Amino acid sequence: MTNAISRRNFLKGSVATAAVASLAACGSSSDASSSDGGAKKKVLRWGQSNAKLGLDMQKSTNSGSSSISESIFEAPLRWTEDNELVPCLLTEVPTFEADGVTLHCTLKENIKFHDGTTLTANDVKYTFERMFTPATGGKSTYMYDRIKGAAEMLAGTATELEGLTVEDDTHFTIVLTDPMASFVSNLGISYAQIFPKAACEAAGDKWGWGTDCIGTGKYKVASNDDTTEIVLEKFADYHDGEPALDEIDVIYYDDNNTKLMAFKNGDIDWCELSPDLLAQYKADPDVKDMITSFETLGVHFINLNLNSENLKDVRVREALSLAIDRQAIVDNTLSGAGIPAGCWLAPQTPGHDDSAVLEYDPEKAKQLLQEAGVSNLTLDCKVRKGQYEKYMTVVQSYWKEIGVTMNLSVEDNGVWSSDWADGNLEVTALGWYPLFADADNHMYTYFYSENAAKKSSFYNSAEVDDLLSRARVSQDPDERAELYKQADHIITHEDYATIPLFWPKGTFVAKSYVKNAKVGNLIYHFFDLDIDTSDPNYTVG
Amino acid sequence: MRDYLIKRILLALGVIFAISAITFFVLNIVPGDPVRVMVGDMADEATIQRVREQMGLNKPVLEQYANWLTNMLHGDFGTSYTQRKAVVTLMGQAFGTTVKVAAFAYIFALALGLVVGVVAAVNHGRAADRILMALSIFGISAPSFWMAVILQIVFALTLKWFPLSGIKTWQAFVLPTVALGVRYAASIARVTRTSMLEVLSQDFMRTAEAKGISKWIIILKHGLRNALIPIITIAGTQLGDIFTGSILIESIFAMPGMGKLLLDAINARDLPLIQGGVMYIALICVVVYLVVDILYGVADPRIRLGEEAAE
Repeated sequence: MTNAISRRNFLKGSVATAAVASLAACGSSSDASSSDGGAKKKVLRWGQSNAKLGLDMQKSTNSGSSSISESIFEAPLRWTEDNELVPCLLTEVPTFEADGVTLHCTLKENIKFHDGTTLTANDVKYTFERMFTPATGGKSTYMYDRIKGAAEMLAGTATELEGLTVEDDTHFTIVLTDPMASFVSNLGISYAQIFPKAACEAAGDKWGWGTDCIGTGKYKVASNDDTTEIVLEKFADYHDGEPALDEIDVIYYDDNNTKLMAFKNGDIDWCELSPDLLAQYKADPDVKDMITSFETLGVHFINLNLNSENLKDVRVREALSLAIDRQAIVDNTLSGAGIPAGCWLAPQTPGHDDSAVLEYDPEKAKQLLQEAGVSNLTLDCKVRKGQYEKYMTVVQSYWKEIGVTMNLSVEDNGVWSSDWADGNLEVTALGWYPLFADADNHMYTYFYSENAAKKSSFYNSAEVDDLLSRARVSQDPDERAELYKQADHIITHEDYATIPLFWPKGTFVAKSYVKNAKVGNLIYHFFDLDIDTSDPNYTVG
Repeated sequence: MRDYLIKRILLALGVIFAISAITFFVLNIVPGDPVRVMVGDMADEATIQRVREQMGLNKPVLEQYANWLTNMLHGDFGTSYTQRKAVVTLMGQAFGTTVKVAAFAYIFALALGLVVGVVAAVNHGRAADRILMALSIFGISAPSFWMAVILQIVFALTLKWFPLSGIKTWQAFVLPTVALGVRYAASIARVTRTSMLEVLSQDFMRTAEAKGISKWIIILKHGLRNALIPIITIAGTQLGDIFTGSILIESIFAMPGMGKLLLDAINARDLPLIQGGVMYIALICVVVYLVVDILYGVADPRIRLGEEAAE
């Protein structure tokens, strides 16, 4: 009898559970249905991880934060998805005067911030002075500290930026301490976003958090809890035409697997597909046709510590390069998400050498080691977890074939960063991504002797230093490209100072109704995106 | 009892203080520079030095600890290096989510574990016992992250009964609750069964049965109560675990809780936030063990604490 009652109760419980579950199912489906019979709202739902660094790009260098901030704030110039520098807040891309240090800039008339105030040159001056004020703790000042007076501000001996003068509401002049051709390019990235003085000062430390994000961008912040979601809505007074989307919902997913499941589930419309999940989703019939791959401007490479006795002989370094089958790494380890590197600079960067090839020839590698009198060579390699570990395991096996043993270990990101900067790594692997298509940002930062000494490389070539310095000040784009091409050849084909492996490709997934989804480098933008509301798969708006 | 409690609380404060000191100095000894992690690979040395100074990390460690301790005693746990917000504020926001998930999971685990354990013990040796115990082994063995993904695939992706992730609706808490709670439910079930089997074979149980008292009253009133001590021990330990061990679940279900906050802090070498997180874990553990000790006495009046026990 007791057992019979228990079974009956169990059945009642099951029915109740099913009823609750059905209600839950009804609730979730109603969220996705159209709310009116008229024109559908264009709502894009984007999924990405939350760096939790806020959206003030003077204080963050995170590419995920940049993706969001670039829809809200704008810099004087803008890099397009085709890697072209175009005017944004300025009327045109400025060029230096004959002295190579003076830059006259003109703002477009009557540009509105989201709070209704008008952008003036004083906001530009305020923004740069804020960047150089020590209390701000700016993390990208190195991109702009050639402005006259920046060093003094950073040192705390000045409170005004001498090299930025305001002529009137729409005109200002920047003067550098010495020529730097790529400075204009630096005005096109998120680190140079212009803030409204009054609103930014009023927000204080809260700037960039919550709804204290007021820019001139296409979209303004409707809500932002800083942790799970930020909702952007169309800025009707945008200075360059009406934005295509009505709303952008940025939903944070820290787990890549969950993010892709959310995409499959229809919770988001567009997101990055991380390299570790690429093979899985390429085989998924529900997703494989929605995958798009794009070329980035970066390079993944093996960093060799030239202070190591094991790596001082250039023949050894060339042998290590010859032993690696880059095409096999791209095909098998990266599931095709890369291009085997033939030099340092990626194909879209001025200075890239199309004819350069880094060969796979293990026999020649063995011969070079023999000529160098090297046998039983053992190298220590430390990498960060993730993709680096994966492809360096393959490199380990290639080097084994030519008689080189590599002890591979994985370090925590914080430990690796310190070891790398302190010159403690004999061999390591990393990806180096320039922020835009200019080799100064890609090569000077790594191979100029002063910089190489702080990256466990210690490459020191007077010839390369000279080429990079000349390219830095030249105002002639063709001459600059040629100088970088020469430097690249010396570094990767004569000195074998480093071993480029591949130029990585990024991948994303987008629903059929997401239009103009395109990425030019690392940062995802919403500038050109649109939604095809007539697509039967679009059910949100 | 009161003196005992005062002693325990003072001891707990000592433990928390010691943990704070150990954590602070260990974090300053282990390799890894928070500034380098924060500014990224491309930043130059001058910028790194400036940020370090701005954050006060160029000061001697002892001075940093003295400042931190003084501020902490005034309720100020410092400001997160990365998020630039007060640690107390960040932990307050995350704690709300963690409490919900952990409390739901704990209630679920306790209810399911006790029912399964009692039913298995009562049906000792029968098919129901064998099936339930096999399921409990499965529950203990299945890692919570695996369980979470399976639940997502079945109940969110395929059946679409519950949201895949998030914290917007109550339905969003169902799958994390189950994923987190199953493992603990299985442990409680096995301990309950073992403890109940021991009690069910006692003479007083047969006496109660001979008196004609209903079977379930005997089982629940006499049996379960006498079997409670081992259950309280494991359930108490698990309460601490469940409040501090939901890192993976929070990541998978995109829930901004304490576990996720602490994990991010560790990855970014965000020392003030790590300190705050460690204090939180220490506090939870100390409180839970104190409560467990008190519950022993409540469950079994023969157990007395402190001086009363010595008399």
